Amino acid sequence: MWWDRFLDPFRGKAVTIPPLDGALRPNSALETAIAFAEVDRPAAIVAQADRLVVASHEDLLAIRLDGSAPRSIRRFDGRITALAAFADGGLVVALESGELHCLGGRQDGRVITRLGDHKLICPTALATAGDHMLFVAEGSTSASATDWIGDLMRKGASGSLWRLDLSDGEATELAHGLAWPAGILVEPDHSLIVAEASRHCLTRVAADGRGRRAVILADIAGYPANLSRAADGGAWLAVMAPRNRLVEFVLQEDAYRAEMIETIDREFWIAPQMTSANSFLEPLQCGGVVVMGVRKPWAPARSYGLVVKLDGLMRPQSSLHSRADGRRHGVRQVVEAGGALYVASNGGNLILKVEGDA
Amino acid sequence: MRVPESLSRLRYNYVPDHLIGEILTKRWADNLVPFLLLAIVVTVFGSAINGFFSPASLIDTTRQLGEFLIVVIGLTIVMLGGGIDLSVGSIYALSVFSTVVSIYMWDLPVGLAFVVSLLTGAICGAFNGFLIGVLRLRAFLTTLVTLIMGRSAYDILIIAFGKQLQMSPVMNDNFDFIGTGSFLGLPISFLIAAIFAILAHVVISRSRMGWHISAVGGSRRSAYNAGINVRRTVFLTYVISGLSCGVAGFLFGARLSGAGPGTGAGLELAAITAAVVGGNSLGGGRGSIAKGLMGAIAVLVMTNGLIRLGYGTGSNQLVLGFMLALAVVLDIRWAKNRHKVLAEIYVAPVHHRMSEGESALPNSGGPYALNDRLSAAAAIARGEVEGPEDVILDEDGNLYAGTRHGEIVRWFAPDYTRQEVFAHIGGFPLGLAMDRDGSIKTCVGAMGLYSIARDGTVTQLSTETNRSLVSVVDDARLRDPNDCDIGPDGRIWFTDSTTRYDAHDWALDSIESRPTGRLLVYDPRTGKTRTVQDGLRYANGVCLAHDGKSIFIAESWACSVHRYWIEGPKAGRMECVIADMPGYPDNINRASDGTYWMAWLGMRTPSFDLGLRHPGFRKRMTRRLPQDDWLFPNINTGGVVKFDETGRIVATLGDLTGQSHPMVTSMREHKGELFIGGILNNRIGRFPIPGADPDWTSWKSYWGTAATTEEAR
Repeated sequence: MWWDRFLDPFRGKAVTIPPLDGALRPNSALETAIAFAEVDRPAAIVAQADRLVVASHEDLLAIRLDGSAPRSIRRFDGRITALAAFADGGLVVALESGELHCLGGRQDGRVITRLGDHKLICPTALATAGDHMLFVAEGSTSASATDWIGDLMRKGASGSLWRLDLSDGEATELAHGLAWPAGILVEPDHSLIVAEASRHCLTRVAADGRGRRAVILADIAGYPANLSRAADGGAWLAVMAPRNRLVEFVLQEDAYRAEMIETIDREFWIAPQMTSANSFLEPLQCGGVVVMGVRKPWAPARSYGLVVKLDGLMRPQSSLHSRADGRRHGVRQVVEAGGALYVASNGGNLILKVEGDA
Repeated sequence: MRVPESLSRLRYNYVPDHLIGEILTKRWADNLVPFLLLAIVVTVFGSAINGFFSPASLIDTTRQLGEFLIVVIGLTIVMLGGGIDLSVGSIYALSVFSTVVSIYMWDLPVGLAFVVSLLTGAICGAFNGFLIGVLRLRAFLTTLVTLIMGRSAYDILIIAFGKQLQMSPVMNDNFDFIGTGSFLGLPISFLIAAIFAILAHVVISRSRMGWHISAVGGSRRSAYNAGINVRRTVFLTYVISGLSCGVAGFLFGARLSGAGPGTGAGLELAAITAAVVGGNSLGGGRGSIAKGLMGAIAVLVMTNGLIRLGYGTGSNQLVLGFMLALAVVLDIRWAKNRHKVLAEIYVAPVHHRMSEGESALPNSGGPYALNDRLSAAAAIARGEVEGPEDVILDEDGNLYAGTRHGEIVRWFAPDYTRQEVFAHIGGFPLGLAMDRDGSIKTCVGAMGLYSIARDGTVTQLSTETNRSLVSVVDDARLRDPNDCDIGPDGRIWFTDSTTRYDAHDWALDSIESRPTGRLLVYDPRTGKTRTVQDGLRYANGVCLAHDGKSIFIAESWACSVHRYWIEGPKAGRMECVIADMPGYPDNINRASDGTYWMAWLGMRTPSFDLGLRHPGFRKRMTRRLPQDDWLFPNINTGGVVKFDETGRIVATLGDLTGQSHPMVTSMREHKGELFIGGILNNRIGRFPIPGADPDWTSWKSYWGTAATTEEAR
């Protein structure tokens, strides 16, 4: 209401975050999942026929679903930030440099650096429709695609969503002003659902980009990353980091934040991370103190492992967790293949396999 | 807007924010609001009424105050016991009547008349007390009934005997003197009230009965369980209230030499308002005579003032009603939210800037570079011991450690699998030191300095030091005694880490980083403890140098080690030996090669160091976030550091895996091995020191020469 503006100065200023409750009630499903393959820092995963294609730094790896060791398909010049597969078996690989490489299929060998007049610099997520329609999310107009944390801590919200028709090269901007779009899901009606990581929400964008964008899932208890289609018509949402009151508080503290960004190495920031508790220089919160050899699983943490199953209306149904005392954190992408779920845990350096209906 | 760091330093280091929290922890903080109200009322009416402060006016006011105050004190005592007495007005009126009848109809002497008045009050009070205390009827309804009954009785009596009283020829000079006379310029009634108030204050705050009343008011059930006779106590409060009305009634009778139909009407409202406005809780248990006094003065000044300004009884009662309502609301809100306010504003961080110093990263190549060697330590009592802050060994090699259960546990050499409770203290034993006679001296968190003889007998040595002149909290008591060591002359040097937080909240002190830690010395010859050095940011480990002439002191939140000279040319001076380490030092102990072991309880992190330079950031953090989310120094990683006499770092031992010894608060060398404790750990580590003297023990290093003389004998 309008009077809130006048009353706010007199109200408490507690920093709050959504609780992990309801469909998000914690469990240890990710901690107990099968370690399918060891991959260093997996950033993206897609399924293709009988294999998984995984991005790890500059390497594109293939892992057969029957469980062979990862095999390198190709090594690129820069780190891979996103992957997508076309129905005809072709792959699109997005690089940190902003280049999109097509591999296999009809577009094999094609390299895209521009979307119309727009030079692509920060491709964070890809999605395909049919065999020539490509959707590209650009995380930010200034940051690199591997620098989500920097963009978040600078409160960036300059991401955009593009449609590129590979048959005629026509590029259309469907949305802009997005807070680090990190995942795209194409709906049956051709509208798009975008995961806005820094705004912790899912947003629906119309197929032609016209009309109002609608937030369809707000106040997610973490920073959403990639979305993928589930076999039952719902979707899998990878949540790459947890929300943390201290981080939200630091986002309000401009002087401290500016100096932190300026003077402290990124991995030691008070900011979400893909993995934590690796160095004694990392920040520690009171609840994270190890007592009698135990770290509480519900301790406030900078990293967490979370996969959320959404129903067809994008409402959370169930979830898989690796909690504060676990290591399988920083899930960047999830893919369902051959009746099992494969989870790319960036912080845990693992591809996890979850069988049955989780 | 970015505030320059120097300005924020001035703001947070020189404005004493912490005093607000400290004042709120005091019981007398409750009096501040009533006192403010009293000041406002006196100022307002004093300036609105001409001649308010003239001697004649003041004497008249104090004369009335005498009677009123006594009634309010009686009511305060009832309220303190958890009850309410609405019948004070009637009892008061009946006492006035009995006084007047005694003097003017029966022609009794003043003394007897006073006794009659007291008896009247006491009987009425006992009637209330019997119904409420013994039969356990509800105080409010019961006294409402007695109010009506008493008032009716008075009305009947005054109509029946009013004329006779007025026509009475009796003249009693003594009686008139009490009513109108003065002693040393003060009205007699006021002097009696003052004596009554002092007596009541002593009884309530110092006597067994007073404590029983407060206990019953605070919680009937707990008081009953504690063995207090609740019914008798409640009964007594009403008798006291009745007696007070008797005294006050006698004084009123003397002042006006008679009684009229309106005597004592509406007194209950004024008295209850006074008691509640003064800050006495209607719920019982919280209150004092001083509060009653403040309330009585405020209410009396206000009612008199209103009358003199020309307002009638109606508006007077209305204002009293409003005051009562406001006071009741404030009382309830305050009682309910006081601890919340306190919790929210207690932490008052200061600015503290440490230089970046050297890195402890394993690959940094510097002297502090940590390693994983401690992860190889064997575990003693894993999962059985909780919180061995310090460990110590006797000459037979038996191992002792304090636990968070308030015990000192002994493990038997050589394999340390057998254990027994050596002594039960009750508080958390922290630092340990072994004396010449083999007794263990220990600093017990939140308690003080204790000694445990070889047979396990616990003796309290010291629980207080000298009180400093300017401090709001009672800094005489030892809040967080942390580590101790014994000088060659038997004096025990020990630290009290902070005056701001209790021992179990020790880590919160790091958020504040306020230098309140102290170095103390206990002298066994005098039994006295003295503060020798203060202003340390969490004073922690203490260790007597090998030559016995100085002691090393760890200042945890400043990441420094100091040396305090106890003899020689620099005696009484402190100098910094190591500054700005990458870790937070804890206990310091002697090593066999003439150097010293120092435990690191945690590591500095860039984010916390930056926070230390932004006190406003930390202050807002403690107000807006729940404690579990507060930024802490990293106390999940620690280590052991060895330094020599000059402060040069000789060696480091760490456990970066965090599996065995995430945090280290103490270590003790014994016969070539290092025993490692941690206040949050569930084991004691045992680590062979390569190249260490296999015969060296800490006790021999301190008392070796004495031991040989003992053996020679």
